[in-house]
Formats: sequence, C-alpha cells, structure tokens
Amino acid sequence: MRSRGIQHDNERPADAQQTHARTQRATPLHAVARRQTPDTSCAVSAELWIGVHLHEPGSIRGDEHLPVNQALERLAVRAQRFTPRVSLVPPDGLLLEVKGSLHLFNGVDGLRHALANEFASLRVQPVLALAPTPLAALAAARAGKPFVAMSMAQLVGQLTPLPLTTLRWPQPTLERLGRMGVRTIGQALRLPRAAFARRFGTEQLATLDRLTGRDPDLPRRFHARERFRRRRELTYELENHELIRASFEPLWADLGKFLEARQCGVMELECLLRHRHAPPTRCVLRLAAPAADVRRLTALFGERLSTLTLPEPVRACELRSSSLVPRVLSSNHLWQPGEHGGGSSAEASELIERLRARLGPEAVYGLRVLPAHRPENAWAGTEPAGAGERVARPKSCHAPWPVFRRPLWLLPTPQLLSERGGLPRRRGPLRLLGEPERIETGWWDGGEIARDYYTAVDIHGVRLWIFRERGSPHRWFVHGVFG
Amino acid sequence: MVVDPELARLLEHPAIWRGRSAARAEVLPTGFAALDESLPGKGWPRTGLIEILVSRFGSGEMYLLFPALAALTRRPAARWCVWVAPAGAGSVTSCQRAYGPEWSAPDASTGRRDFNTLVPFAPALAAHGLALERVLVVRAQQQALWAFEQTLGSGACDVAMAWGQRPRLRELRRLQLAAERGRALGVLFRPRRAAREASPAALRVVLEPAAEGVRVTLLKSRGGARGSIELAWQRLPAAGS
Repeated sequence: MRSRGIQHDNERPADAQQTHARTQRATPLHAVARRQTPDTSCAVSAELWIGVHLHEPGSIRGDEHLPVNQALERLAVRAQRFTPRVSLVPPDGLLLEVKGSLHLFNGVDGLRHALANEFASLRVQPVLALAPTPLAALAAARAGKPFVAMSMAQLVGQLTPLPLTTLRWPQPTLERLGRMGVRTIGQALRLPRAAFARRFGTEQLATLDRLTGRDPDLPRRFHARERFRRRRELTYELENHELIRASFEPLWADLGKFLEARQCGVMELECLLRHRHAPPTRCVLRLAAPAADVRRLTALFGERLSTLTLPEPVRACELRSSSLVPRVLSSNHLWQPGEHGGGSSAEASELIERLRARLGPEAVYGLRVLPAHRPENAWAGTEPAGAGERVARPKSCHAPWPVFRRPLWLLPTPQLLSERGGLPRRRGPLRLLGEPERIETGWWDGGEIARDYYTAVDIHGVRLWIFRERGSPHRWFVHGVFG
Repeated sequence: MVVDPELARLLEHPAIWRGRSAARAEVLPTGFAALDESLPGKGWPRTGLIEILVSRFGSGEMYLLFPALAALTRRPAARWCVWVAPAGAGSVTSCQRAYGPEWSAPDASTGRRDFNTLVPFAPALAAHGLALERVLVVRAQQQALWAFEQTLGSGACDVAMAWGQRPRLRELRRLQLAAERGRALGVLFRPRRAAREASPAALRVVLEPAAEGVRVTLLKSRGGARGSIELAWQRLPAAGS
C-alpha cells in the first residue's frame, strides 16, 4: 500500500516493504521468529495495540464518585490479565499491546470478546479498536467505529476517514485546519510536511508520524500500585501476646518473599488484630527508610505489640503494607563494624537518622570545646561527625585551667544556694575543699562575670562546683556536679 | 584440694563449662588495678549490659568509667560513645524518682520551680582524655529507654550510657540483648535501691562515696569475685592538680 502526501519523503519511498523493514529492525527477536510463519498479509507489524475508550470513565461498577484516575487504574489492573504492556491515557483511555497474547485467546476475535467480558463485569462498555500503532488504536477507539487494522499496510487507509478531533490537538489548531477544509486524518496526512510543521508546529507533525508508525511510539507502561495484604484466621481465639506474635509469623514470611521478589521495601505497615465484637486493634509501623528485612520488621512489631492492650481475644490477624518503594541495595562489609578497622559509618548515620526521626533533630548532637574562660561559653553542641571518620583534632587544645578542677556536668544557668552565716547550704551544710579559683572575665561583651569557684562536698559525699559572687550581695550558686 | 589427674584431664575438655573459668570474653581494662583484679576477665566486659548503682547522682561514677571511655574513644576505629539522656536531661519526674529532688530548685527571680538540666561539660570530658568527636549526646525525654536500646543495637557505638530510668525486667533483658547484638557495652546508672530488683545485667556494681575515693561493691558478676573494694582517686577533683 502506498501512502501519499505527508508520507512522501524524497530519499525514502515509504512503501509497504520499507515500512516492514523498518518495523522489523526495532522488533524483539521472538516477534521476528513468529513472523517467519506464513502470513497472508504482505506486512505484519511487530506490535498490535488495542485502544480502549471510555465514555464515562468515572462510572466503573456503578461507583460514581470514584476519581477518574483511580477508575482507569482499576481498569488497567483488569487489563493486565491480557498483557503486561498496559498504558494509561488519562482521562478516558487505555492502551494494550496484545501481539504476544493473541494466540492465548484464539486470535483477535477471541481476545476482543474476552476483553469485552472482562470490562462488562465492571459494568463498562468501552470502545475497542485494534491498530499496529498505539496512537492509531486510540484515535480509532475515540472515533467509536469498529476498527481492526492488523498490519501497517492497512493502517493509513483505514485511518483516512477518521475525524481529526480524535487526535485531541489544541482547539485553535483544529479550527485553523477546519477553515482550510482539513477535517479528517487522511486530509491532514496529505499536506506537505515542511509547510505543515511550519504552520502547525513540529509537535503535531510528530503526532502524525507516531500515528502512522513512521516514528516509534512507546507509551509509558502502567505499573499497578502493589500492596501486600494478607489475612490469617486463627483456629483459636488468642490473648497471649507471645502466641499472637507467633501467629503473625507466616504472614511475615509471606511479606518477606513478596518484597524479595519485587526488590522493594515498605515504608509503612499496618497490623490489624481482629476481635469478635470490638473494633480491630491497629498497630502501625512507620519506618525511616524503606525496609525489607523481615526480621527487623518482626522485631519492631513485637515491640509495638508488647505495649498494646487488647480489648478482646484476637480472632484473626492481618498485615497490610502501604505502596512499595524501590529498595537500594548495599553490600555488606567483610568485617564487622569496629573489627579490624571495619567501617561503621552506615550504621552510624542510620542510628543518628533514626534517633532524630523520633526525638527531633536537635536531640542528637556532638560536643566541641571552645576557647573561653567562662564555663558557659567553653563548650558547644555540634553536628556529629561520621563514625570511623577521623576528625582533625586541634593540636593546641590547651585547657586554660587546671584539668581536674572542672566538673563533668554543668548547669546551663547556675542555681542559687541557700546560706547560713555566710556559708552555702544544700540540704545540709556544704564543706568547701581546697583553694578558690577566681574567674573574672567577659567585661568587654556585657556578659561580665566575677566569681570565686570552690569545690564543695555535700552531706552525701557528692562533689559540687559552686561559686560565690565577687560583687555584693555575695550570693552562692551551684554551677556543676563532678560526677 | 587434690584432684585426680584423670579427672583434671577430663575437665580440660572444651565442651565442659565451669562457672568461674568460663568468663573468657573480651574485656576492657578499667584503669584501676584493684578493680581489674576482682572483675571477671580483669576488666569491664566489652559487650553486654552493666549496671552501676549509686545512692546519689555524682558519687564518682563517671570517674570510675573515664579511663575505659578514654581508651575506647581513642582507638583507631573507634565507634560512638553515646550519652543517652544524661542526668537531669530526662523529665523532671523520672529524675526525681531516680535520684530525689536533686536539680529542681525555685528560680531566684520568679520563684517558679524550674528544671535546670545538667549537660556534659565538654572541656572536662576532653581533659579526661575522651576524644570528643566520638562523643554523641542524645536527649530523650520519655523515650530514653527506646533510644538506649536503639543505640546499643545499632552496631554504631562502642559504649552507650543511660541515666535515671526505671526499667522493668523485660526491658533490661531487651537492653542486654541489644548490647550483645550491637557488640556494645551498655552502662546503666540506677539508684541504689534498685539493688533489690533482679536484673539480667552481666555486672552490677554499687558505688558509694568514700573519704578519698569510692567504695565499689560487686553485687553481681558472672564468674567474678564478690565483695567491696576501696578505690582512691589518683587525682582528686579537690586536690586541684
């Protein structure tokens, strides 16, 4: 079959043989092998698409309020029974590549029949159209006419009478073409390519090329949102937490296999414990990173389960996952962390992330010494260094004070002590040890302090770091504990 | 005791486990010769949970640990040394329950009882030889035990310490298991009265302040000696040198 007009390309005559050769080049081997069987038509394309057009996509199974995309996804999941290559064309279309499945359903008629039955069970009656290119199948389905184009050779001829509106071009473009008298696909294909591209844009030209199979078209494949959901009815009603945990074991094993097969992890898991009368007890596990390690999940679940109080004995357990997320695999170290210099930075960052996820970002910090005489200013919290990472230790970190005269614990703000006869008390008299140390600094920035620090022992033998103000009223404060 | 050589040879068999001689685990020298002598394997256990019971917060428990901590953090492939909810950083009630109303006093200006939290003082830690870049402080209010268990089991730390909690027996067992899993030493500081409760910890030590140091009583040690030891600080905080 010879196509004219737009298909005309001086260097490449687009006759059927040529089209055949081109499609052959881009086809998988099994398709080529199949084509070697005797075939009556002169050119058989490697692909065969079914376009599905829904008039009312929202009304699947009488569910009027279902969002359109979800309705389409539900259809797509059903359609995956027939072929793995299903694409969504929102808002009202589906594409199925069925070349490989034709022989499983007794050819085209059998497949159409099976599809129609499948959709009928969802109470939708979509229009189906078969064509070797996805766009053509879709356009034909939108046109609503019975359409079966099995080969490239038949394609353009059958497309010719279809209205241009089936391509869903922008309205202004369609209006301009309409004023020129171009209302069908056939008429559009007859226009000169260069002029068409100039006047209506290369995008529209590319659409026509994909429509006729001149350019390859690979619609994005639909992947069903997979979830794990499994329920186990128990033979006996269980109250014992240990037994309940044990009854979950097969579900965890299933989940492990499910995740392993898909190389995926879960971020959220819901464990449901069903009772006879009371509403089911929920236990939701949320994870910081995609997890696929069932042992870890089981441990986490055991931890949560132990805190649950059950209103009634458990009759059934159920495990539901949120949608799956791809898992990043990492190799294990040969050495254990901390052994023979085995790195542990992964564990370290994991630990910090986990703690911060639950306790807040500021709850985890490292420590740093600052060169200052005022005790309050002599330290600072800092971002923790990665474990195993060597941090350049400042060489000239000479403490400006005698080492063992600083407490291990510091009160950020000193606490006032009561006194009797000028001597400090803290639930009993404090005994002062040694000589005082005077810290008098900070006059230049307003944080001036003038204090005499003492080590004191209280009646319980606890050593405290206390000071007396140099200025009046000479109050006593406690500022730290030696630990 | 005279032992039949035949019997002695039989007892040499590696499959036979005998209480005291069994403790061959990796240990960490405490830095105190007298204490090393009485501990099983001559030092702190390298992994597992130990408990240090003190009557008052600040009885010298940290000085007891510092030589070991300093050695741990200064190793070439050192992991974290984690301080989980250091004293006073937990909730008011948990700390008061553990140590009495220690660090809550009426605020001088407002009269409001304000809880003043103690923080590890970095200069003193550095002065005692800890490598500060290996020190991690975790402030966990109610979830300190969870944080402690996560830290111990993560495999990212050499030692983790926690204060002022009232763990139940089951939680202690979890901590012990986590420490073994993460190959870490967990140190739990508990009030003195916890000595009456059972604990799965590998080592339980009671600490009391003494005249020139502390008195350490081994309450429980797998395969070690029992009894009290007096330790004198080499360099007393008060001596100033």
